[in-house]
Amino acid sequence: MNILDLLSIPILNISSSGWETITIAQRAADALSGNSIELTIFFLILCILITVSMLAGLGMVLIYAERKIAGHFQCRLGPMRVGWHGTLQAFADVLKLLLKEDLVPARADKLLHLGAPFLSILATVLGLAIIPMSPSIQVIDVNIGVVYVTAITGLGVLGALIAGWSSNNKWSLLGAMRAGAQLISYELSATLGILVIVLFAGSLQLSEIIQSQAEGWWIWRAHIVGIIAFFIFLIASTAELNRTPFDLPEGESELTGGFHTEYSGLRFAFFFLSEFVNMFVASALVVTLFFGGWMPFHIGNWEAFNSIMDLIPPAIWFAGKSAFFIFLLMWFRWTFPRMRIDQLMRLEWKILLPIGFANIFLASLVILTKFHF
Amino acid sequence: MAFINLKKTETTTMQFGGFNVEVVEAPRGAPSDTLIGMIGNIQKVFVSLLKGMKVTLSYLVRPSTVVTQQYPENRETLQMFDRFRARLAFKYNEQGEHNCTGCKVCEIACPNASIIIDARKGGITKKVEIDRYTWRWDICTFCNACVMVCPHDALEMTGDFESAVYDRRLLIYNLNTYGGPPAKVLKKMEDPEQKKESMIARDVYSGPIPMTGTAIPGIFALAKNEEIPDDVE
Ligand code: SF4
Ligand code: SF4
Repeated sequence: MNILDLLSIPILNISSSGWETITIAQRAADALSGNSIELTIFFLILCILITVSMLAGLGMVLIYAERKIAGHFQCRLGPMRVGWHGTLQAFADVLKLLLKEDLVPARADKLLHLGAPFLSILATVLGLAIIPMSPSIQVIDVNIGVVYVTAITGLGVLGALIAGWSSNNKWSLLGAMRAGAQLISYELSATLGILVIVLFAGSLQLSEIIQSQAEGWWIWRAHIVGIIAFFIFLIASTAELNRTPFDLPEGESELTGGFHTEYSGLRFAFFFLSEFVNMFVASALVVTLFFGGWMPFHIGNWEAFNSIMDLIPPAIWFAGKSAFFIFLLMWFRWTFPRMRIDQLMRLEWKILLPIGFANIFLASLVILTKFHF
Repeated sequence: MAFINLKKTETTTMQFGGFNVEVVEAPRGAPSDTLIGMIGNIQKVFVSLLKGMKVTLSYLVRPSTVVTQQYPENRETLQMFDRFRARLAFKYNEQGEHNCTGCKVCEIACPNASIIIDARKGGITKKVEIDRYTWRWDICTFCNACVMVCPHDALEMTGDFESAVYDRRLLIYNLNTYGGPPAKVLKKMEDPEQKKESMIARDVYSGPIPMTGTAIPGIFALAKNEEIPDDVE
């Protein structure tokens, strides 16, 4: 093995000829079959590095962005003191959280209390692993991608439930019960939204869903059905993220912090981090399913325009699109007031779910009659 | 606001604490429950959500709407707001005369006894006039009651909020620069000599306050040889 092999890894796949996806896990497997142990180890370390650095880096950037954007939404400035315009504030916060005392309430279920934040962050990391960030930056590509994502978000709720239960605190328990009810309900709608795209793309694999959008993004090609599915999925994933207007599990003003009331220090940071990175995962999913993932923006047969768009590396396309949806989620959070729990349940079971079912029925009709672009 | 029609408002008058208050009622419509109406409901919901998002976005894109003050940095240029309430002060006219008659209405109105008034019978006018107006900045809650009740408009709230000192006794002091009749009585005096005589100068720290050696409940008097820690600049 020589060092040039390492340097020639096409991290930024610029050529537009055939957006062939090669995941890093795939590369490791190839290297293993090519009897190159060093390269295998290198790729396996790269897998871990990408997920971990995504987790930490995204956490920092998103927390800073959220605080800054929230500030300006509310005529404030946000963090200003640490570093230029508060840029180092996130590092200061992390340092503070690391040094804080780790409190466990008396008569709490110690083991579960200890484990809950790890379960939460585990679900986030597992979600990060299959996000296709560019044809060459994807840790692993499972062929049941969409089902996997749905299952993983279901795992996240377990962290919240266990945290609330083990804290031995009525607020935490209330928050946890709400989290459970809310996440399980909205999972249905989110899945119905995803299924529409699965019907169109004819595959559950995320990379193939992206590949199927080479001629146009599904939000455009699946017209009305796609747009309805997009809105359903957007609302449902906001609810699954526990963000305002659906932040009942935390509900600072009523539950003092909901399921993570009794957490401090590093384990609180884990909940916080997983919440923010989940936001990225959800935005990435919206982008992957409806907005062509890392596919560049093309307009019909404007050859010149399309080839200019192709020059922008897919990773940048992906980052830009997800950044927009993350911004949208923040915008929602700082505009809308929190819903009541019965309104929340009514929205899901009486409004979103019937629309979702009608929509998936319509979608199958559209596909059968080939009435889409 | 989705189902509220602002064009069909009703105005009624209601009694609140002896006042007639105008109450504007906006009829709160219900979402339509027909199948066709449902589309209208969804449209209304999205329109009203977008309206809200437009408002927040307009703040985000215009940094000029930020109201936060970067305080210690802009200390030189900081302009406090008209309605900001911090240090209580007497109002003085150009001749340095105040309006206070020593009627003690403010002393009675003050919820926590931050005002201690010393009134006396004036030597020249033979009427009650203010001698020392002692204000306790250390316990004042800035409720504005004294300013509102004063029948002679003698007090005002200023924006001077930097009251940090090392010794709270420094915060108990006299507001009036002179003990004597108010401006409107002084105006009637023809003789400037007599005018001067009726206005007896008062120091900030004078009279029965801890700084001059008089204890008040809860606060020790300043001892003869006691050093006051330096005032915070
Ligand atoms: S502002 Fe209120 S507390 Fe302060 S002196 Fe006036 S009446 Fe008393
Ligand atoms: S400040 Fe006003 S209310 Fe208070 S004693 Fe003087 S005139 Fe009376």
